[in-house]
Amino acid sequence: MTDAHVVGSGIIDFGEKYEWAFDDLLEGAYLDLVESVDHGIEPTKDIDAIWYGTLDIANEGSSGASVAHATGLFEKPATQIVNACATGSDAFRNAVQAVKAGDVEVALVIGAEKMLDSTEGLIGGAALERLWRGRGVTMPAFFGMRATRHMDQYETTREQIAEVSVKNHENGTKYPHAHQQFECSVDDVKESATVSYPLNLYDCCPVTDGACAVLVTNDERSREFTDAPVRVAGYGFSTDSFMRGDDLALTNFPASRQASSMAYERSGYGPDDIDVAEVHDCFSITELITYEDLGFCEQGEGGTFIDDGVPHLDGEKPVNPSGGLLSKGHPIGATGVAQIAEIFEQLRGEAGDVQVPDAEVGLQHNIGIGRNATGAVSCVNILER
Amino acid sequence: MSGPRYHRTREQDQRLVAFECQSCGYVSFPDEKQTCKRCGDAPATFEEVQLAERGEIKTFVVQEYLPDDIEVPQPLAIVDLPQADGSGESARVYGLLTETELDELSVGTEVEARFRELFDDGERPINSFKFSVPREVKR
Ligand SMILES: [Zn+2]
Repeated sequence: MTDAHVVGSGIIDFGEKYEWAFDDLLEGAYLDLVESVDHGIEPTKDIDAIWYGTLDIANEGSSGASVAHATGLFEKPATQIVNACATGSDAFRNAVQAVKAGDVEVALVIGAEKMLDSTEGLIGGAALERLWRGRGVTMPAFFGMRATRHMDQYETTREQIAEVSVKNHENGTKYPHAHQQFECSVDDVKESATVSYPLNLYDCCPVTDGACAVLVTNDERSREFTDAPVRVAGYGFSTDSFMRGDDLALTNFPASRQASSMAYERSGYGPDDIDVAEVHDCFSITELITYEDLGFCEQGEGGTFIDDGVPHLDGEKPVNPSGGLLSKGHPIGATGVAQIAEIFEQLRGEAGDVQVPDAEVGLQHNIGIGRNATGAVSCVNILER
Repeated sequence: MSGPRYHRTREQDQRLVAFECQSCGYVSFPDEKQTCKRCGDAPATFEEVQLAERGEIKTFVVQEYLPDDIEVPQPLAIVDLPQADGSGESARVYGLLTETELDELSVGTEVEARFRELFDDGERPINSFKFSVPREVKR
């Protein structure tokens, strides 16, 4: 069986892109990819299949035909992946599996979301007709409940949770594609408006339009596109729910533990081998508990981990050098793909002002909740240069 | 659809009836199922059990931003409701709270299920349980 390699990436600047139609987002990321492949690409000839991630929040991009329409890549298999906020990563994982299986030689993975064209709004989408399973449970509430219990159980402080947002906003000011380009302090986070106690506005990622694409191929063809391919060393995907009764699911995400265990096992790497990580920080607390779920620190020690500066850009294990979802933004279908693109750049030494020195192994982590607000889907991919 | 989705669990919503997996002891509420969320038994054997009206807050939030037709602040908790006869495991549920004062609420606070109007769907009031801190427990 062949390995799968990332050999190119393309992205548009994330932000409020009112002037851009949904198709323009896809086309922009696709063109940036086509124009940046080191040795060039003839897309209609080279690309065998497309995995396309979008929740289609704007309601104008459902089905693989939409991505063909936006890019001109017709007459090929094009599969839309929908898996809550882990949509982009799961599109990537599916492409990797097909390449590894030998069924596809060159796969385009592309994700996009036009969050600002949502007709219903994400908060409105939370008002379900389910009395016991999430009527009115918003995403800030879902994650906020983990914060409340983590603070109670492990004496994690409000300041430690806020530090995640401070760190990621600082990184975001150095990352050219980030939506929110400003720094904030712990006090700014604590004094911003309460969205869902204990989380405030600056604990939450912004509402952002965006798109990103990566190119995946096999051993044989990887050098055709670049002298510096990035190997996909492992991947994992899992689901779990707090309703299964495990207390761990009240503070953390067992699905992330399962997915990362799978990825570690497949890759032969462990948490200590990871030089740089892009993780899901839809809210500040999410990143803090993810340190624990990925095994970067012991259970309950996420607060100390950030207090000690370990996940900072100049720390021992930099997490979210791109600014994460908190600063870069979270255009759902694009989010996971953009995390992969950032790890790709990091491992090739092309990450500019947020470059982690000598990064050889990188991890990408993306979770999703969806309207079944009881647990998470979690996807972890490990890449190496 | 012949009626709103919330009518499907009307019986459980009004009587706190739950279903205990005979393989692993998992208590399913309000879903009456043939497969078990915890052990994966399929088909699983479930027995009907009665939940107590007093439970414990496992964690909570107070929501400040919600759609216009939902009142804020809206406190929301994950609550463990034990079985009425004290046997077996608790059911773990989402519950709306009546308290909005943060100093009344903490992880571990005892709460009581009270039958209330949850919302009006335009035709009729929809009644089910909301959780309150019992007077003798209040600080
Ligand atoms: Zn069971």
